[in-house]
Amino acid sequence: MDEAPGLSDQYRTASPWPVFIALGIPISELGLLFDLFPLAVGGLLLFGGSVVGILKESGYVTSTIRAVTALAVIFLAFGAWLAFTDIALVTRGYAVIAAAILLAVGGVVFELFVREQRQTF
Amino acid sequence: MEVNGQLALTVLMGVFLIAVAAWLARVEDWRSYTPLAGGGTVGGTAEQYVSEEKPSGVIRWLTTVDHKDIGMLYGAYALIAFAVGGLMVVLMRIELADPSMTLISNTFYNSLLTSHGITMLFLFGTPIIAAFSNYFIPLLIGADDMAFPRINAIAFWLLPPAALLIWAGFFPIPDVIPAQTAWTMYTPLSAGVGSGNQVNAGVDLMLLGLHLSGVSATMGAINFIATIFTERDEKVSWANLDIFSWTILTQSGLILFAFPLLGSAIAMLLLDRNFGTMFFSVDGGAILWQHLFWFFGHPEVYILVLPPMGIVSLVLPRFAGRRLFGFKFVVYSTLAIGVLSFGVWAHHMFATGIDPRLRASFMAVSLAIAIPSAVKTFNWITTMWNGKIRLTTPMLFCIGFVSNFIIGGVTGVFLASIPVDLVLHDTYYVVGHFHYIVMGAIAFAGFAGLYYWFPIYTGRMYQVTLGKWHFWLSMVGTNLTFFAMILLGYGGMPRRYATYLPQFATLHQVATVGALILLVGQIIFVWNFAQSWLEGREVEDGDPWDLADDDLTTAEWTWFERKLETAVTDGGEDETELATDGGQAVDDADADSADDA
Repeated sequence: MDEAPGLSDQYRTASPWPVFIALGIPISELGLLFDLFPLAVGGLLLFGGSVVGILKESGYVTSTIRAVTALAVIFLAFGAWLAFTDIALVTRGYAVIAAAILLAVGGVVFELFVREQRQTF
Repeated sequence: MEVNGQLALTVLMGVFLIAVAAWLARVEDWRSYTPLAGGGTVGGTAEQYVSEEKPSGVIRWLTTVDHKDIGMLYGAYALIAFAVGGLMVVLMRIELADPSMTLISNTFYNSLLTSHGITMLFLFGTPIIAAFSNYFIPLLIGADDMAFPRINAIAFWLLPPAALLIWAGFFPIPDVIPAQTAWTMYTPLSAGVGSGNQVNAGVDLMLLGLHLSGVSATMGAINFIATIFTERDEKVSWANLDIFSWTILTQSGLILFAFPLLGSAIAMLLLDRNFGTMFFSVDGGAILWQHLFWFFGHPEVYILVLPPMGIVSLVLPRFAGRRLFGFKFVVYSTLAIGVLSFGVWAHHMFATGIDPRLRASFMAVSLAIAIPSAVKTFNWITTMWNGKIRLTTPMLFCIGFVSNFIIGGVTGVFLASIPVDLVLHDTYYVVGHFHYIVMGAIAFAGFAGLYYWFPIYTGRMYQVTLGKWHFWLSMVGTNLTFFAMILLGYGGMPRRYATYLPQFATLHQVATVGALILLVGQIIFVWNFAQSWLEGREVEDGDPWDLADDDLTTAEWTWFERKLETAVTDGGEDETELATDGGQAVDDADADSADDA
């Protein structure tokens, strides 16, 4: 700030991810609480994808696919816990598992096709 | 029918996700931001980075992680919530002008009562403080930004969905009605037990929204603690850290310990309501809820009042021409209040039949908290004593704060005493007491800050006469409304009711007139705020309050002055000077300015 007064106005200032992380949380919560399958899956996908996006962007992870896999495993464990233990919230558990699988698939697709394309720029 | 609904929802969700992905792909290509640790202004790609920095229009506000922009977003959000919560209560006060049910139904009154409380505390109070702290803490401590700028943005963006969920009951959604649990959400009512209508999904939605706003506050608090601890400029030590940063640091500590507890309690309540758990329906469940809720709820009061005290401690000396009297003791009092605030919660439960020995200890701590509060009050008064007082609008609001805080505080001391509390519990006395604090003190300090820093965040000056009208109408309105409530409480008028006995009519009408005066004052505020922002006199001096005359300038004004100077030297176009480093951008910038000329 001292070296270049006014520069603070132009300092690392934009990221597309926070809005979607913030939207993903309530959408998935609504879906899981009221047992609305599409909302739960969609919200978790939005949340998971955005978390990976923001981690990649800020340099906390280097590999997209590994971050996606880690999140998918967490979701999978949570979904299994809901669906197959005494808690027996079966449909909600399946929703989380579906989100985990879709997230993993999305990660693979991104790794195989989209990321390559990006690097050619 | 159900299958169709699921299908429609799936299609909607799918389309939404594809739209998000498409938008992200576009935005990702603009590639103007750099990794967190990148710095960005040094090195090969610097000129590109800078010249393409902030996107324009709505996208800028949706994607910003700049602490000042986020501060502005918090401010806009809080003021909208203040208007909503304020209009809700205007409707309630008009209903209360007459003893019987006339304008709105009793159930609608209950819904408004619940939403008014939650809106004002969680959607106005906490965010308006976050507006000031986001904008000014980094400037005051000489940091480039918050410690975690993206977390900062997430914390803000959780709030709009939270508001929608909290107000969801009022929207025309089939089968959803607004919650009528009051903001304290006492069980068993809020657990949906019995024949009442609180099983409705509206309560679940409100609980989810409240939970989200708590997550947001906690994220913000962690960010402020990290920022104040690690991002201070070399020149800013603990010894000369400003008073506002001290109060925000203390507040953040309180949030860190209080809000997760609210989150857990709400999660338990949601489980009780939807998944058949019995946290609050077994013996002692109702008291358990009250303990959990107030263990959060009382620190929440100090979460809301400490930063406004910090604003007053910062602004009041600037217009008294002196430094804050007993600065160290104001800081110590802040910390003391922070610690003590966790030991007073059961004073909200004196009438529940808890163990009398427990009650006595909570009474002692509650009375003790009056000491640091009084230390602050005396320090503000002593700061003004023999000072060179300038009655500007922010100063008027600061003095109004002190005045209202004394009435709100002293009535609180009486309530801390068990025998008095048992008489006044659940009467309008309590309502009058805490509104003197939340409206008379907290909102007044908010206005003091909004007026004091108006030149910084708008580059313009507000209209002085309208500012004074706003203050005086607010001051008269506040005292008329809430003093009448204190008297109503002495008379035994119970709180939370939409109807009342005719003997209370006069004082209720006085309170309604006061509320309408407040409404007029706030309409003037909105007009002044909006019009001055668009058309007010532009500030050309970095020290519009002449703080330098008394050697009272603070870091944010120094920053503002430098900002104005840079803006002038590069011809008012932010990027021109910075773009001269490199190739193409210079020509573009020059061409632009030539066009402008």
